[in-house]
Amino acid sequence: MRTQISQHTFRRLLALPQPLRLRTFSILNRPPPNYPGHVPLTLVERGALALGSAFGSLRNPHRHDLIAALGEATAKPYFISRLRKAMLANPTGRRILHDKPRITSQTMSLEKLRQLPENTVGRAYAAWLDREGVTPDTRDQVRYIDDPEEAYAMQRYRETHDFTHAITGLPVIIEGELAVKAFEFANTLLPMTALSLVAVVRLKAAERKRFFETYLLWAVGNGLKAEEVVNVYWEEELETDIEVLRARLGIEIPPDLRETRKLLRDKEKAERAARDAKDRLGAVMGV
Amino acid sequence: MASTALLRRLLTLPPLLRRSVYSSAATHNGASQPDTYDVVCIGGGPVGLSFVSALRSHPSTSALRVALIDSQDLSTARTTKDTETYSNRCSSLTPASLRFLKQIGAWEHAKRERAQPYHAMDVWDGVSGSKIHFDSVDQQQTGLLDAVAEMIPGSRSQASRRKYEVEDVGVATMCENANTTSALLQRLHELDEERSKDRLIFDMLEKTRVESIDLGPESKGEESLDLSQWPIVTTSHGRIAARLLVGADGANSPVRQFADIPSPGWDYNQHGVVATLDLDQQITAQNLRTAYQRFLPTGPVALLPLPGNKASLVWSTTPQHAAKLKTLSRPDFTAAVNAAFRLMPFDISYMLSPNSTTSPTDELTWRESATPAASTGVPRNFPRITSVQEGSIASFPLRMRHADTYTGHRIALIGDAAHTIHPLAGQGLNLGLADAESLAQRIAYGVDHGMDVGSCWTLDGYNSDRWAKNNAVIGVVDKLSKIYGFGSGPVVWGRSAGVEVLERLGTLKGWMMGAAAGVK
Repeated sequence: MRTQISQHTFRRLLALPQPLRLRTFSILNRPPPNYPGHVPLTLVERGALALGSAFGSLRNPHRHDLIAALGEATAKPYFISRLRKAMLANPTGRRILHDKPRITSQTMSLEKLRQLPENTVGRAYAAWLDREGVTPDTRDQVRYIDDPEEAYAMQRYRETHDFTHAITGLPVIIEGELAVKAFEFANTLLPMTALSLVAVVRLKAAERKRFFETYLLWAVGNGLKAEEVVNVYWEEELETDIEVLRARLGIEIPPDLRETRKLLRDKEKAERAARDAKDRLGAVMGV
Repeated sequence: MASTALLRRLLTLPPLLRRSVYSSAATHNGASQPDTYDVVCIGGGPVGLSFVSALRSHPSTSALRVALIDSQDLSTARTTKDTETYSNRCSSLTPASLRFLKQIGAWEHAKRERAQPYHAMDVWDGVSGSKIHFDSVDQQQTGLLDAVAEMIPGSRSQASRRKYEVEDVGVATMCENANTTSALLQRLHELDEERSKDRLIFDMLEKTRVESIDLGPESKGEESLDLSQWPIVTTSHGRIAARLLVGADGANSPVRQFADIPSPGWDYNQHGVVATLDLDQQITAQNLRTAYQRFLPTGPVALLPLPGNKASLVWSTTPQHAAKLKTLSRPDFTAAVNAAFRLMPFDISYMLSPNSTTSPTDELTWRESATPAASTGVPRNFPRITSVQEGSIASFPLRMRHADTYTGHRIALIGDAAHTIHPLAGQGLNLGLADAESLAQRIAYGVDHGMDVGSCWTLDGYNSDRWAKNNAVIGVVDKLSKIYGFGSGPVVWGRSAGVEVLERLGTLKGWMMGAAAGVK
């Protein structure tokens, strides 16, 4: 009994003084990174990043790095965890998290994709990339999310954003991007997608009217109805027929934005030409 | 004339024999009259056996005519000699229960090398990771000054404390039910041998099925006994009349049904999976052991230490998960148990769901690499489970029931017949043993004061002693299980904040441990 009492008191003494090396996380004492490129941020830094990148990307929507930073700063505490859990709950999503595939120009060979049959997902993706003039390499690395698996989920969402464009056929102009962002908000619940919708103030009046009348309703309806797009193993779906995939996911294609704009532009040009011709004719005829 | 002479001779006898003549009267009235006993206990589990042992050990009640009825063969309730295998039916005995077992003289017959006292408890929340650590140091309420004084060689600072405060019983002791039962049986046998010179007034009716319990017939005349208010137990071996019928016969108690005592409650929609596990730690007898419990949204999972590197698992989970666990192979079951303590709750649910495609072993390897230990709150020295004992995986449904009253006319209920509780606090058997102790004390009081042991004068004291206390414990355990059933939301935040605060209040923790230990 004597030994056991001293064991108790010894353990008690060891537990008593708080170890002095218990320091809180501060800017002078950052913890080591959890994955290559990881930058741990304090709460204040994350808040400042969110505000700064929100206003910065509103002023200049071409700053894709600010949009990426906004996404990472606002994804914790709940939203990216919910997305990861949604991926883990789905068998395909689980396989994606296990294999951790990356989409870059090395892993996605565009020459091979262009040679695929007409109606396949891969061909549509390659065609969309060519039409919009972008490559798979324009995606930034995730840096500000602490858990490596959640960081991968965010990276996967970002890299498959182009596939979402391809499967819905929306272009890379602001109107198209906003429609895709609305769709993604209804589908993934990431706050950055909802915050980007503030950029409707940058649209022209006609574009805004078109957005609210047609594309917003389409985006929210389809995003809620469809399966989670982040759970699609795109590398395996490259040779699937695109209509079959759309039916499987529950996505209906919206009116083609570029075509609509082109028609309207042509109509306006024709009207303006007719007006100019009338004016010129009138000037000549002295009316 | 002869009867008055007989009566006078009877009155000159010592009270012990006089009482026994009264209580065993009417055996000569013919075979149709049932055999009368003072106390008949139906149920030979640990609670029933401890009650009868308490009666037989106490000098006031040792002369009562007692019968114990059980349908099983009680002589075979012995533990195996094999030190490598442990039964999956183990219970955690609190210091109060141990004190009771020592008092009735049964604990010295238990195989001490098969019982494991543990000194600490680590409890943590499966969703938020907030944890609380219970240590017997908090119970002793020593401060820094006492600790330093104790370390001085030759110090006598603890010598003035009362013996039971210093005695090292830890938090509780894990003991197999078969070990407790065989110890009690040996004690009863020992008591029988001591009193073999007196008339044998204890009957153990084992392998006896109770066919029915009724009230006795109306008396035929003035001379015969009026048994119309007495319970008569019809067994496969005959009829027994009981002055006091004690039901220790489990959750579906026939005695309680005979007494028409309602027992409201609800089913938890959970099954408790039990198993005996092997750990990877090298344990010696001097090591201080810890019990671990993690609260998952589907139910708590607990790892309780057994001697050597063994442990007992109690995992309360949904019926679907329990069914899946019982179909797993032994390595897969081991992986699932490791996962239950180390992975996030949704990973565990996915592993046990019917549409999971990979085996639990592979799932555990992958998911553990992606789950940082800090986020799940698993304690640093938590052992790894290496294997599960063959044939030890079993499950039982969990429910909560509490009888409206424990006593009726010549009826008393103890143990599971009176109450069923969730196993998360390990209190089920301990409440039953406390019931047995209290009822035995009230019967001793009744005998000392000349009361009829089956009357309300004796029994009301038992009801008022135990009912409210049991109700409080059952209620607290039920609310705990409900609070920890939430997987997300403000309840999670609230309970985590509460646990974090409680972890830092040593005095309050010590009081809680004292209340759970039941030490008077």
